[in-house]
Amino acid sequence: MKIDRDICNSCEECVQYCPMGAISMKDDVAVIDQDECVECGICLRSGACSVDAFIDEKAPWPRQLRAEFSNPTVPHHSTGLAGRGTEEVKTNEVTGRLKPGWLAFAVEFGRPVTGTRFRDVDTVAQALAKLGVTFEPANPVTFLMEDVKTGKIRKDILNEKVLSAIIECVFPREKGPAVLKALQEAVKKIDTVCSVDLADLVQPDETVPAEKMLNELGISYRINGKTNIGLGRPKFKGGN
Amino acid sequence: MTHTLHRSGTRESLSGDFVFLYMSSKGINTADSGPKFKKFLEIAQRHNPVNMGDASYGNQFAKGLDNIMGNIKKDYMTAVHAVFDNEKDAAAMLKDVKEADLGLSLVISGIFDRVKGLCQKNGIHRHAVTYSLGIWGKTNKLPPEKVLDVITMCGHGMISAARLNSVAEDVRAGRKSAEDAAKELARQCDCGVFNPSRAAKLLTALANK
Repeated sequence: MKIDRDICNSCEECVQYCPMGAISMKDDVAVIDQDECVECGICLRSGACSVDAFIDEKAPWPRQLRAEFSNPTVPHHSTGLAGRGTEEVKTNEVTGRLKPGWLAFAVEFGRPVTGTRFRDVDTVAQALAKLGVTFEPANPVTFLMEDVKTGKIRKDILNEKVLSAIIECVFPREKGPAVLKALQEAVKKIDTVCSVDLADLVQPDETVPAEKMLNELGISYRINGKTNIGLGRPKFKGGN
Repeated sequence: MTHTLHRSGTRESLSGDFVFLYMSSKGINTADSGPKFKKFLEIAQRHNPVNMGDASYGNQFAKGLDNIMGNIKKDYMTAVHAVFDNEKDAAAMLKDVKEADLGLSLVISGIFDRVKGLCQKNGIHRHAVTYSLGIWGKTNKLPPEKVLDVITMCGHGMISAARLNSVAEDVRAGRKSAEDAAKELARQCDCGVFNPSRAAKLLTALANK
């Protein structure tokens, strides 16, 4: 996103809308720091500019990734889905991504507020890969890995900044403690925040085994989260 | 699209926050999904939603409900949302969606024990849960919790802390009501998962700080 300095009327209205703080006033004109801008487009969609000074042009590779990972109205070229570009376990009763005896894990880099460079995603993905996790194939970040066995992200995108990018993986339940400990170590090396998700299937007696594991590890979780009610059809064969 | 997870806040505040997400699965049940999405949104309108939206199109405050309904295609890959600010409406919504038996996936975000209770009342065995293990890494970069409680209601991060502080100042100065300010923020959350009812209460507290 850019601002046409000849059209900008210096009203400063757009500055507050940028989640990355990338818009500032320079010589009485609003300018966008192109390195910090994640191309989320909220400055334009907000309607804050009364004189149509924004210039929204399709960016070439690899900058095009910024809009795909940051603008929730732009679909990912890899999965065809908008937002973070993955169904994760929201449709699990029909996809069977998460199977009995396994846990699903997600790390959402840059969320909330900070944004992320892919180099931080690379650091954590490689740490998790060493434990033999299986990265979700239908996730946009997985498409950007040179090798899903190592978790290594392709070099040409490491400096691209996006609002958020999510790594998803599954692993046998018994690996849970090792995966969480590896993440605790890996996040010490990153320059951003990440929101961490753990998904588990509800057992026939309505218990969720992951709670016991988290309690034993001393890892807290919020009182609120997502519940897949299980109303989708056709049901995945072999699910719970 | 884990955009309805990681909403922060106290139990009291979150007790007025139920997000219903209704989604097709790519290549599995997208065929003829359009009428199911429309029916879901029609049901939602009977139960006093505080926000509705389509992740692929926009929310009711920015696009209008008629346009959201009109944009839904016959074979549609998307997630639509309806947000409720109390348990009674959420319970009635779940009952009707279950009875309609439309066949797409329903995810409810809210306090786990409340959602579990809603399911038990309706004879539903929950399929899966996703926990938020909170925020890890360089947390010193984050704004105060009271700010996060509002802006994490847009899981795609479309509401900046600066924007929130600006409308909170408008409320403090009496230039806007907390309700109007909350609806302005809701426009920015494209998917329609922002809860303006809860936000108005949080904005009032921020403005009176």
